[in-house]
Amino acid sequence: MEVTFILRSYEMVSYKIKNTIEMDGTVKEIGVFRSDGWAIPFDPANTDYQEYLKWLAEGNTPEPAEE
Amino acid sequence: MSSISVNTITDASGGTTTSINGYTPTASNMAGRNRIINGDMRIDQRNAGAASANTINGYFLDRWDVSQITTGKIIAQQNAGSVTPPVGFGNYLGITSQSAYSVISTDRTMITQWIEGFNCADLNWGTANAKTVTLSFWVRSSLTGTFGGAFINYDGNRSYAFSYTVSSANTWEQKSVTVAGDTTGTWNVTNGGGIGIRFGLGVGSNYLGTAGAWSASNFAGVTSQVNLVGTSGATFYITGVQLEEGSVATSFEHRQYGQELALCQRYYFKQVYSQTQTWAYGHTQTTNLARVTTQSPVPMRATPSFSTNATLYAVYAGDSSGSAPMSSLSCIDFTGTNVIIEATVTGVTGFLIAYGYNGSNFYSAEL
Repeated sequence: MEVTFILRSYEMVSYKIKNTIEMDGTVKEIGVFRSDGWAIPFDPANTDYQEYLKWLAEGNTPEPAEE
Repeated sequence: MSSISVNTITDASGGTTTSINGYTPTASNMAGRNRIINGDMRIDQRNAGAASANTINGYFLDRWDVSQITTGKIIAQQNAGSVTPPVGFGNYLGITSQSAYSVISTDRTMITQWIEGFNCADLNWGTANAKTVTLSFWVRSSLTGTFGGAFINYDGNRSYAFSYTVSSANTWEQKSVTVAGDTTGTWNVTNGGGIGIRFGLGVGSNYLGTAGAWSASNFAGVTSQVNLVGTSGATFYITGVQLEEGSVATSFEHRQYGQELALCQRYYFKQVYSQTQTWAYGHTQTTNLARVTTQSPVPMRATPSFSTNATLYAVYAGDSSGSAPMSSLSCIDFTGTNVIIEATVTGVTGFLIAYGYNGSNFYSAEL
């Protein structure tokens, strides 16, 4: 199935945290997986990330990262 | 009609600032003057000419955002209706209304292009030296009357509504709007959204303004404008969109296909796997976690969002024994054309080759 466009904040979306593990074993959050299948990086210039921040500001909470 | 035939034209002072219809060849950019990308609607990486669903609410043709607050009112398609484009053009963006809908105050159905701040910083908007620009485009609609649009900053708190008249139904007409640049407000000059150009197709009262003046508002059209969504089956076709410095609408700047595609790929590209092929190289960062690097055609505007519908595997580069599916992929950084992707892989370690088939990877750094 073709992915044609990206959802907007006013649509029903959910997010799940993505963690990474650095070489020294440090775990940190580096992005989120959105419910439409897109992976969003924590880059302030990424507009999907900006939408995620608005979603958070509306009082929503992402699902925790998978272990 | 008369003509002149001379070898040299100089201005009255003997300098080099002679203007022709307001255009100064030695001062005005010729190549690169159009700040709009894909203004001739040639590039359609996402859909390859297919029509959208009536839920379209996002980027459609490259760099063109087709949005509707209340979905189900329009569909979009490159070359919808298969009419002959204006002379000199091969494509257009077509919008077709899906119902006879009365807009509500919060509606904002429109076509938008956001110009990256880097590409309009020289216009000095938001300063006393703000430059005048001219927007020109070809439009064809089944409806006639006064249509509207707006210039807008990325914060959505400075805008300038404009109007134009479609005189004859189902006839291509070229329109132009000249705007003195905004001397106040915040206008991004880096890799964020700079100037937005909106064409309103169904705009509620919250987003309508009076044409011809800057305002601390978030306009998308003009008061009493024709709303395409109000007539079932109504069409709105547009192409040849150009925004340039100055008060003259020069002829459309036709760029080569490869140039235009590369400009678009700064914001979106996809890797298509028509057969099994390698798409990235990397290593296992920690147990079950791989980092691979792929190449974007050009440096992207920001770290891209990532999606895929392909089947992706990683294999140990040492002896290619065994492979493991890649899952939970995401871009985590980029440097130049190197895009770094992290994925879950189980069962392979060390240096990895990533390969894919039966689909595509999608990268988006749109505004």
